[in-house]
Amino acid sequence: MLQSRHTNNWAVLVDTSRFWFNYRHVANVLSIYRSVKRLGIPDSQIILMIADDMACNPRNPRPATVFNNADQQLNVYGDDVEVDYRGYEVTVENFVRLLTSRLPPETPRSKQLLTDEGSNILIYLTGHGGDGFLKFQDSEEITSQELADALEQMWQKRKYHEIFFMIDTCQAASMYEKFYSPNILAMASSLVGEDSLSHHIDPAIGVYIIDRYTFYALRFLEKVQPDSALNMSSFLAVCPKQDCISTVGVRTDLFARDPAKVPITDFFGSIRPVELTFVPEEILQGTMPPELNFLIPAEEPCREKRKYSYVSQLPKITKD
Amino acid sequence: MAMNDIGMSLLVLLFSSMLSAHSTIASHRSQTDHFHEEVIFKSVADAKVYSYFQFTTLWNNSFETDRFDHCRLFPRSLAEIIHTFDVQELHISLTEGHWRHRYWGYPIIEASPGAEIWVWFGKNNKGKDDIDRRWKGLTSTLSGLLCTSFNFINSANSVRPKFSFRPLGVDSSAEEGSEGNDDNERVRYAVLPREIVCTENLTPWKKMLPCDSTKGLASLLNARFIHNTNYHSIGAHYRQMCLDAECTDTKIEFKQTVSLVYDLVLLGGRADEWSIRKLFGTGLFSYCPLATTSNIYVDVSDNNIELNKQPDSTHTAQIGGNHIKYAIYDVHRHASSTAGFNLVAKIRSTSSSMSPMRHSSPLLHVNRYIREYGKENGGIVVKIYNNHRKPLVVTYFENIPWFVPIYYHTLKIRRIDNGEEIKPLAKRYAPGSTRTRPYYLEVVLRVPGRSVVELSVDFDYTFLKWQEYPPDANHGFYVGSAVVSAALPYARNYRSLPASVSLLQDIFNATWPSNSFVVQMRTESFILGLPTPDFSMPYNVICLACTVVALAFGPLHNITTKRLRLASHSAKGKWKAFVVSKIAKIFGRSAPNDAASCSDSVPDSSVNTEATKL
Repeated sequence: MLQSRHTNNWAVLVDTSRFWFNYRHVANVLSIYRSVKRLGIPDSQIILMIADDMACNPRNPRPATVFNNADQQLNVYGDDVEVDYRGYEVTVENFVRLLTSRLPPETPRSKQLLTDEGSNILIYLTGHGGDGFLKFQDSEEITSQELADALEQMWQKRKYHEIFFMIDTCQAASMYEKFYSPNILAMASSLVGEDSLSHHIDPAIGVYIIDRYTFYALRFLEKVQPDSALNMSSFLAVCPKQDCISTVGVRTDLFARDPAKVPITDFFGSIRPVELTFVPEEILQGTMPPELNFLIPAEEPCREKRKYSYVSQLPKITKD
Repeated sequence: MAMNDIGMSLLVLLFSSMLSAHSTIASHRSQTDHFHEEVIFKSVADAKVYSYFQFTTLWNNSFETDRFDHCRLFPRSLAEIIHTFDVQELHISLTEGHWRHRYWGYPIIEASPGAEIWVWFGKNNKGKDDIDRRWKGLTSTLSGLLCTSFNFINSANSVRPKFSFRPLGVDSSAEEGSEGNDDNERVRYAVLPREIVCTENLTPWKKMLPCDSTKGLASLLNARFIHNTNYHSIGAHYRQMCLDAECTDTKIEFKQTVSLVYDLVLLGGRADEWSIRKLFGTGLFSYCPLATTSNIYVDVSDNNIELNKQPDSTHTAQIGGNHIKYAIYDVHRHASSTAGFNLVAKIRSTSSSMSPMRHSSPLLHVNRYIREYGKENGGIVVKIYNNHRKPLVVTYFENIPWFVPIYYHTLKIRRIDNGEEIKPLAKRYAPGSTRTRPYYLEVVLRVPGRSVVELSVDFDYTFLKWQEYPPDANHGFYVGSAVVSAALPYARNYRSLPASVSLLQDIFNATWPSNSFVVQMRTESFILGLPTPDFSMPYNVICLACTVVALAFGPLHNITTKRLRLASHSAKGKWKAFVVSKIAKIFGRSAPNDAASCSDSVPDSSVNTEATKL
């Protein structure tokens, strides 16, 4: 039995593409969302960013669904989905702020990456990219250097234990080439100079439904159970060249462990540490010393009787 | 260290005392909260079915004294938010589609397309800035709770309406004098018309229900059968009500609502028949054991609906000159069967509700649109239709984004049939301010009987800053709906509840204050195509500028820095100079200047080198 040293699991899943013709990118990100949720990462520890709404898009003939194939076998959207960043919120700034925890003070918990030095984080990005950049909503880009610096900042802030970085975009490998922080295992759908290709078209929606790399990754992950003994090296070989057409890139030099010895659930599953205590807690025993009586909430003083009434909905017009 | 130990023991003691206090509170309040789930079905014109779900939690608890430490049926997540931000009243709705008052009558709860939120904050505040801060905190927190974009709400899209959006619940200051009641310092209203409503909003909404979506009427709410409707709206409404008739104490009401309008023609099958299974894809297999009331109502006021099961009871009432009749089914009795309860309703074909032309139009309805003259000037037009024979007092409220600057002096109110100008009873206007405040306009006017009154105001199209355009700027910019409120004398097409009542079953013995039926209609929202720059322009400019500079720089550089000299053109001389220089080189002497000037006088080649360098 391999001993993993992380204490909790998080996932950051980002779709950076807007517009209906990028349906496949939403299907991609939801495929991974479905898998990590099924394998036990709770919604509170998944940050899902989706740049556009495909499920309830007026062009979707099957409202509230996103399928991973034209046969409609698997509704990856499901009935229980929580999107944390959506629409215009999916920006480079918000993504980098999320990773580096530099968010405004009023940001709700569901939009924060509350990781610590024991967290294993799965980062999945999909969208349109090029050599050294990934486009966000067709209007801005994040460069590979910016991403590498954000991850380094996370490392210096002790915000992760290990990261598994996945990216499905054209020339995807260029995005992890600049990484220089330790304990990152990276995987990309295509090498520099290669396009990442989509899998098949669904005539009912008129656009491509999913990308090849994620399609095969989901097919693999569907077979994984929370107690599976599969390791990361089998996942790294998930999409051979005859399936993907592009060459899947892998970077292991920053990662200290041997991927063949890392269970796949180290990144896709979730650890929920349970500590059993056999000593009953006895905090209710004993009496309160009188000098601490001020701690007991005093009986509520009798409030003066106040008269309440419903408010008139009609405007009171006074002549000024 | 010693200090620490004392602190720890204090903490433990405090905790234990609070625990014991809690247990007493819990036992004391165990029966003071109740949960009711209800759904009503009503056939409306054009072969449509309006279904309205209402999940109500009533709790004999006071927002002023209690800290919401112990929640049983009330959602704890929301209770903490309400307590932290000192919210007196909270109304949220997430809506897709537009409610067509003219054809469908009035809904039980109105909602604006997109996300709408309006809040009354409590009286314990430190002025406007404090409330603004809480408003920002509240909307950000709610955006996390409901997976919405409420965090986009800021001072640039919130207003404080004066006449519209009075508290729906009780207010202690109502008695103390009109001054406290009329203040609009504590109210905030904002609408995000672009907001998309989908499963990710329904999921957290369902998690606030005591039975989640596994049991009871909420089990009918499956995302696939909600988002295929013509209109769907989910809402959450929190307010305070009178505890008893004396009204010296208050209780809390939290209502979660779903309004759906199904198009029977689009659903397939017979257009004059609907059933629970057809609308929701499933029968009703269970009831929520935590619910005190669990009822299904079918509006049979028109006597044109045949039901496959005999109702448990039928109630009739005369409300505001209007006869209503509900068939009532108690879910506790029907839903326990293994087959699932399925109610089938047949609409008799002779009925008027099937024909789109023969519906009784409501007393008051509105229509709003924009008129454009090119991409420079435009106008917003609202038509208010009064079908009643007497005049009605109407409040019109408009909340226009700052990037649509309206001209107050162009506000015109006139009757359409005779062009008579109508003088408003009251007007309130706050001009917008770029990036910080929206345009706010409220007009109270008397709409004459049997007339159409048109309000219009002009605006300009503006350019935004380059970075302010959204990624899909060419789609257009949404402007949220206006709100038209009035008190109707009759309850035709009206199914809402009076303020003193929270459950649908209480409509039969409810009393309305002096027969005034308040409606607060939301008009159409619209998309405005702002002049959008060509975003590839900077790239083009850079390319063009570089080319021009490259082409211009070389010759200019040459002209300004190089000296032109006449060279001897005779071939003899040239030959001589060449020979001389060669000989000089051999003997180690420097070449005469004449030889170098030879290449200088060929400017073309140097231009080429400069250009390629750039």
